[in-house]
Amino acid sequence: MATLENGKGTTLRYAVGNMLSIFILLLIGVLAFSIRLFSVIKYESVIHEFDPYFNYRVTQILIVSSAINHILKSLNYDLSKHYRGLVAYLLFQFLTKNGIYDFWNWFDDRTWYPLGRVIGGTVYPGLTLTAGSLWRILNSLNIPLSVETVCVFTAPIFSANAAWATYLLTKEVKGTGAGLMAAALLAMVPSYISRSVAGSYDNEAVAIFALIFTFYLYIKTLNTGSLFYATLNALSYFYMVCSWGGYTFIINLIPMHVLLCIVTGRYSSRLYIAYAPLVVLGTLLASLVPVVGFNAVMTSEHFASFLLMVLHMQVFIIIHVVALVYYIKGILSPKMFKVAVTLVVSVGMVVCCAVIAVLAALVASSPTKGWSGRSLSLLDPTYASKYIPIIASVSEHQPPTWPSYFMDINVLAFLVPAGIIACFLPLSDASSFVVLYIVTSVYFSGVMVRLMLVFAPAACILSGIALSEAFDVFTRSIKFQLPGVSGVSHSGAEDTTTGDVVIQNDIVKADKHSSTYKKEDALKERPSKKNRKKEREHLEKASIKTQIEKRLLVLPLEASVISILLLVLLGAFYVVHCVWAAAEAYSAPSIVLTSYSHDGLHVFDDFREAYAWLRHNTEVDDKVASWWDYGYQTTAMANRTVIVDNNTWNNTHIATVGTAMSSPEKAAWEIFNSLDVKYVLVVFGGLVGYSSDDINKFLWMVRIGGGVFPHIKEPDYLRDGQYRIDSEATSTMLNSLMYKLSYYRFVEVDGKGFDRVRRTEIGKKYFKLTHFEEVFTTHHWMVRIYKLKSMKNRIRGKTKKSKSSSKATTTASSKRGGRRKKNPWY
Amino acid sequence: MSISVKPSVHLLLLLFTILCSSLTPFKAFSESDSDRVAELLNLQSRSKSGVIHLDDHSLNRFLTSGKPRSYSLLIFFDAAHLHDKHELHLKEIRSEFDLVASTFISHNKNTPSQSKLFFCDLEFKESQSSFALFAVNTLPHIRHVDPQIENPKDSARMDQSDFARLAESMAEFVESKTKLTVGPIERPPVVSKNQLGFAVVALLLSTPFLVKKLLDGDTLFLDSKVWLGLSVFVYFFSVSGAMHNIIRKMPMFLADRNDPSKFTFFYQGSGMQLGAEGFAVGFLYTIVGLLLAFVTQILVRVRNVTVQRLVMIFALFVSFWAVKKVVYLDNWKTGYGIHGFWPSSWK
Repeated sequence: MATLENGKGTTLRYAVGNMLSIFILLLIGVLAFSIRLFSVIKYESVIHEFDPYFNYRVTQILIVSSAINHILKSLNYDLSKHYRGLVAYLLFQFLTKNGIYDFWNWFDDRTWYPLGRVIGGTVYPGLTLTAGSLWRILNSLNIPLSVETVCVFTAPIFSANAAWATYLLTKEVKGTGAGLMAAALLAMVPSYISRSVAGSYDNEAVAIFALIFTFYLYIKTLNTGSLFYATLNALSYFYMVCSWGGYTFIINLIPMHVLLCIVTGRYSSRLYIAYAPLVVLGTLLASLVPVVGFNAVMTSEHFASFLLMVLHMQVFIIIHVVALVYYIKGILSPKMFKVAVTLVVSVGMVVCCAVIAVLAALVASSPTKGWSGRSLSLLDPTYASKYIPIIASVSEHQPPTWPSYFMDINVLAFLVPAGIIACFLPLSDASSFVVLYIVTSVYFSGVMVRLMLVFAPAACILSGIALSEAFDVFTRSIKFQLPGVSGVSHSGAEDTTTGDVVIQNDIVKADKHSSTYKKEDALKERPSKKNRKKEREHLEKASIKTQIEKRLLVLPLEASVISILLLVLLGAFYVVHCVWAAAEAYSAPSIVLTSYSHDGLHVFDDFREAYAWLRHNTEVDDKVASWWDYGYQTTAMANRTVIVDNNTWNNTHIATVGTAMSSPEKAAWEIFNSLDVKYVLVVFGGLVGYSSDDINKFLWMVRIGGGVFPHIKEPDYLRDGQYRIDSEATSTMLNSLMYKLSYYRFVEVDGKGFDRVRRTEIGKKYFKLTHFEEVFTTHHWMVRIYKLKSMKNRIRGKTKKSKSSSKATTTASSKRGGRRKKNPWY
Repeated sequence: MSISVKPSVHLLLLLFTILCSSLTPFKAFSESDSDRVAELLNLQSRSKSGVIHLDDHSLNRFLTSGKPRSYSLLIFFDAAHLHDKHELHLKEIRSEFDLVASTFISHNKNTPSQSKLFFCDLEFKESQSSFALFAVNTLPHIRHVDPQIENPKDSARMDQSDFARLAESMAEFVESKTKLTVGPIERPPVVSKNQLGFAVVALLLSTPFLVKKLLDGDTLFLDSKVWLGLSVFVYFFSVSGAMHNIIRKMPMFLADRNDPSKFTFFYQGSGMQLGAEGFAVGFLYTIVGLLLAFVTQILVRVRNVTVQRLVMIFALFVSFWAVKKVVYLDNWKTGYGIHGFWPSSWK
């Protein structure tokens, strides 16, 4: 429609529109950043949760090692003053490399004692490298921020980036208006906030940006057919692979979309360009990441890797076959073409079958038959909950109920269906991709609540589209029917409305201008595009037509006004909900807890108290055993070696700790002693009512332990199938180490031993510890640290022996005595 | 030499007769026991799953009067009229029981242990006195009767937790009680080999036709309405938490404990949901979007202003109600107090 206006007015309008959208985008970025700062304002600038502590440690190591190299190398190179500038540049490059190699080769002996853990090959380096480079850039600009500060604010920065990426993606699908709307929605979607508040230094924060950006580049390539964007797409995919295991979602979704396009007869050369380079380059790049390696193509330890392989190979072959068919179609006569098609299709199918057979053989020969636990839990949703306690125990892997959707995407849940329908009218390559994205992600989010994070951007995009279409229709209805406005001009009408709606109208304006672009796009899709001039004429005619049509397509004025008001109300409700979620639900660092009661705010800083105690009062090489949830924190904050941590790579080791916790004192002591453990740490919430304590996690310890060591049986800990710790509890339960360490001396608090989490009096109140001694209990009893008693008598026997070496007979007798009293506690 | 041999032969003969005579009572008993074992084996082979169906009479023969026994019995107490009460899971436990039985039989075929343990079932309507004999008054109920047990009431009852993990835990129970090995439980595959083969052949045969149709471009695949319906359905299915219901095996609704004629459709507490509840809210989630799309995409094309107005008012009303309802339900279910952060001077 813009082509009708005179040139100057149009360019001015475009300029104003562009400026406005840039300004809005800036505001969206600020919004995305600032809504995530509640945690820093309400608490302090700390890293929270369990996993991020590990990432923080990795970043520290990365930066420290490269800094040391920096100093060493600069000493060496200082002689060559002539080429300082050049050398400094080379040095910087060399250093970054060196830092990375140190990082690759880092073997962590502070965890998984006595096994240790190879860090370089087992982590996704994207986040740490990002934060590391951010820190280095800031430092080179003479902004001396600490490593921790950079880590704390990485996530908010990247959520602003993610919002902009969403804008770009949605703009490619449905124009600027929808893009701005979607970006604004994504900036504050609670699901994403939960993983990216300041201080949650987690892979997902960066990965969601990478995910959206990769999709944007894919669609951009699909729309333009440019090899430049295809290459960028592969690079962005590489970044995603570096950042998060969720990259498999991308590399499964894109082939699926390609297949869908081919099946529905939407093949074009642009599709080929969007797909083939991504697969070839992307897979090559992905195999450069140590943690992925050739997993990306070959192994079966990856989520739906089987699907991935088959899809890839098949789609790759199919797209080539189809490309060939289209090529042949162009150069042959119809009759010849038919023959050729039969030939190509049959050859293609034979090749396809052969590849499938080879793959099937390969997969069948692998031990897990090509399925890993996590992938099976997606395809057969009931798999994990039945067979793999270590997956089923994690709350992130539970299937969500309907309130989770309302909590995580809020009113967007209402708008998505409208967005889906809008994408079908008309269906383009880009919009079909978005639909496929939402359908797959919503299905997977239904299986695992964790994947809600992948679903949230899709929900934002489609809700953005839906809202923008709705505002488009309603504002148009108002604009063309307002009394006093003839309907020809495009100005004036908007000025009367309130500020909120002005922005919306601008969005609509921008959307209209983009709708011509859409038309262009739709025309582009026709395979024969020889005469561009003709097309443009068509386009102009079409746009005149659409304008006339649009003027006719209006709704009643007052109903439209009410609709707009209600939609704005809905949006306002969304904002209130998001701010509430950001401020109350997701900003509490789980390392510092607070609670409100009638006498004001209580702060429970017991975790840090306990870790500080460990750091100051134990030897550097002491080993601390605890349930795996606290592993990362203990290594990062107390700097002590742990037996298991949150990277649950070794089930047997975790089961060993679980078994020790569920065993009676003596057996537990033996297990811990064999692992060189000096201290045992338990988290106990019974005094203050902290419900996610070890007693509540205890059944999982039993299950996981029992999975490897069959003498631990879950029924022994349950009375008639019920988990209880009161006087009705089984004796196995009351004698387990976890029970004893949690409730030791608990009765001294109130004389009754009333557990405020389980809301009952404990079963066994007065008991003594034989093999463990209490060394530290925090202020609110939330963390209790015990020391393993050493085998005193044996040591005394030994010293006696050495002292009385002259008298052989007495030595022998004392030896015998020592042997008889091998275990002094029994 | 010959003289000395004779007495020894006599002695041997004597010894033999003494031995024989002393063995006779045992022999007589063992014959009847082996008869019963043979009959049980026979019954077992006649039953499809290997579970022997007993009634009052046969139970008496094999258990109460047949003493002492060399075999133990694992008895499943069944009641056909309770099969439709899903919360008892009688049918499922029964099929798992069958599975354990067939596994045991196939694993121990032609070994001595095959006659050591027999899987039986009792039907309540036929054998009420046997139920009384064991003092069984709740179902599901599985009992293991040792060879030594005199009074059936002393036999070991399988705990709730032992059939909680289905066949595997039942097998553990059996193994711990009898010291026999049940063998690895092998569930029959969902699709049998023949069916799989048939499917593959059918697929292969139909591929050329499908490809032809695709190339001609007249399949359902090309109809965007099908895709649209499918995607909206998947969306509805997922947001209603149906996957949660499948994984957790949630019922559609619960009957009230105190008053069975009343049903609970909504469960308070965000960690759990009932089937009907999920679908109701999923419907509310979806209907708003569908109405919005209908108004903005289809209703604008309608020329009649009155129709437009009426439909819009209807749509607005329904949408408003749906959103309000979901917000209310969510607050009720989760107990979150979602509130805005207004400037303190406004209060």
